[in-house]
Amino acid sequence: MSVTPNRIRRPLLDRLLPVWAVVVFAFLFAPIIVIIVYSFNTGRLLSSFTSVGVESFLALFEKPVLMDAVMVSLRTGAIAAVLATLLGTLAGIALARRAGKWTAWFVGLLVLVSVTPEIVDAISLLPWLVFLGQDLGLAIFNDGTVRLVVGHSLFSVAVVSYIVRARLVGLPANLEEASADLYAPPLRTFRKITLPLAMPAVLAGLLLSFTFSLDNTIVSSFVQVSGATPWPVYVLSALRGGLRPEIAAVSTIMLVLTLLALAVVAIVLRRAGDSSTQIARTIAGG
Amino acid sequence: MRNLRLPGFALAIPAWAWLATFFIAPVGIVFWYSFGYKPGLFGTHANDRLSFDRYLEVLTPTFFDTFVATLWIALAGTALCLVIGGPVAYWMAVKAPPAWRGLLLALVLVPFWTNFLVRTIGWQVILAPEGWASQAAQAIGLPPFDILYTRAAVLLGVVYNYLPLMILPLYVAFDRVGESLREASRDLGANRLRTFWRVTLPLARPGIIVGVLLVYIPLMGDYITATVLGGAKGNMVGQMVAAQFQTAQNWALGSAMAVTLIIVIVLSASIIGALLWLVSWPVRRANRVVLDEVSS
Repeated sequence: MSVTPNRIRRPLLDRLLPVWAVVVFAFLFAPIIVIIVYSFNTGRLLSSFTSVGVESFLALFEKPVLMDAVMVSLRTGAIAAVLATLLGTLAGIALARRAGKWTAWFVGLLVLVSVTPEIVDAISLLPWLVFLGQDLGLAIFNDGTVRLVVGHSLFSVAVVSYIVRARLVGLPANLEEASADLYAPPLRTFRKITLPLAMPAVLAGLLLSFTFSLDNTIVSSFVQVSGATPWPVYVLSALRGGLRPEIAAVSTIMLVLTLLALAVVAIVLRRAGDSSTQIARTIAGG
Repeated sequence: MRNLRLPGFALAIPAWAWLATFFIAPVGIVFWYSFGYKPGLFGTHANDRLSFDRYLEVLTPTFFDTFVATLWIALAGTALCLVIGGPVAYWMAVKAPPAWRGLLLALVLVPFWTNFLVRTIGWQVILAPEGWASQAAQAIGLPPFDILYTRAAVLLGVVYNYLPLMILPLYVAFDRVGESLREASRDLGANRLRTFWRVTLPLARPGIIVGVLLVYIPLMGDYITATVLGGAKGNMVGQMVAAQFQTAQNWALGSAMAVTLIIVIVLSASIIGALLWLVSWPVRRANRVVLDEVSS
């Protein structure tokens, strides 16, 4: 009875799905391609294309402000990523291997951190950092990079903890137990067994934290100190005074660099024996 | 690890201390500010008289309308992401040749790793009424684009920005169901539609919930997309909070808005999660009936 409609539906659906996928991929890439094309615009304003040229790329060397903003972003991203990965990895290992009564409270805190919108972090951190830096006299919190790192690390600590926990929960503790039975000191077991097991998740967490930091606009625009303006805040302020093609040029360079970094991580993960699905699973935090 | 004499939570202490110092303390202070008031023109906050007045102020139409608009954008955006991204994730995980999957995943990730603000500016260029896309549309007889700086442009922008966050967990969820269960379902006589509704979808449900929350929660707090694409019409709660701190200098009211936003997010996200969980009830009951028929 249902054979005839079934046979009709099947090839139709099979043909429609890839078409839909192509449309969605085109949608995902449209603005990125536009930005890459417009980075070769020689006009004064980004949105009005005049002629093709590479002048906008040269601006990176002529305008120190551009380079400075990118360097602030890269430096903050690197420090925030290492810090968040360190804190998150330790917490994730504790959550997976030493679960107890404390777990519920700690997970509750992590959930609260991850559902709190960026703007709330931003408005609460600014007075707090001013208080720490000026009222308490802890000069370190007047430093632009430190402030950005603090702001960027919060969400990332939670995400890394989830990812590392998810990875280790999926792997039984047999190896660690065996190692302990063979009289390995705890620190050695940790270094030789637990950490390598968690490594793909640690790397994914590091990469995610780094890109979260590069993308962070809202917290950065609140806590930044003049002289240490990160790239997205620079773009945001340029938005008000008319965008120039050099913004697109810098974005194109950063896209190429991120793609290279991504390729390196993918290769490392592949070497570590993860399939593409597992990589995605790790990155998606499941 | 067993002979380690540290308590279980020892390794979590650094993260806990960090979050206590830079999350619990500052957000706690904002919570405290929200019960205060703005003293005169030049003060930002005072807490010598405590009241719920700022929360009542948040509920007045001026501010409450923005909450409703934000909620609407977030719900519509999340639903669109699910409808648009769902079939793509399903195709990638189930129908696409396995050898392509790694590449397809990388392709989904590329926009995800491109700066959020710059991607949105890319849309601003595309949607510009004088831009090439608009001119091309006019060349084939369509009207020029006039959606930039409207609610529709904001919706397009948020769907674009959060779509990868939906596709990724959905892909993982559909992939986890595995070929063998679907084959078993077909071998037992279920057609493809029935296999999808009764096997694939119920098993992928946790991933669907993760995807929906992963899109919905950051979307509620986002206001950069709305600033770039919505102009004055794209007012979101985030923008309103920022304005209270940056221009109006009313920290008490801004704090009350921020706390309300967190409460709205937690409540609405719980409701959405619960609804998605309940939706599958009839499906699971139907499955049980099918199993009973088979066994009797």
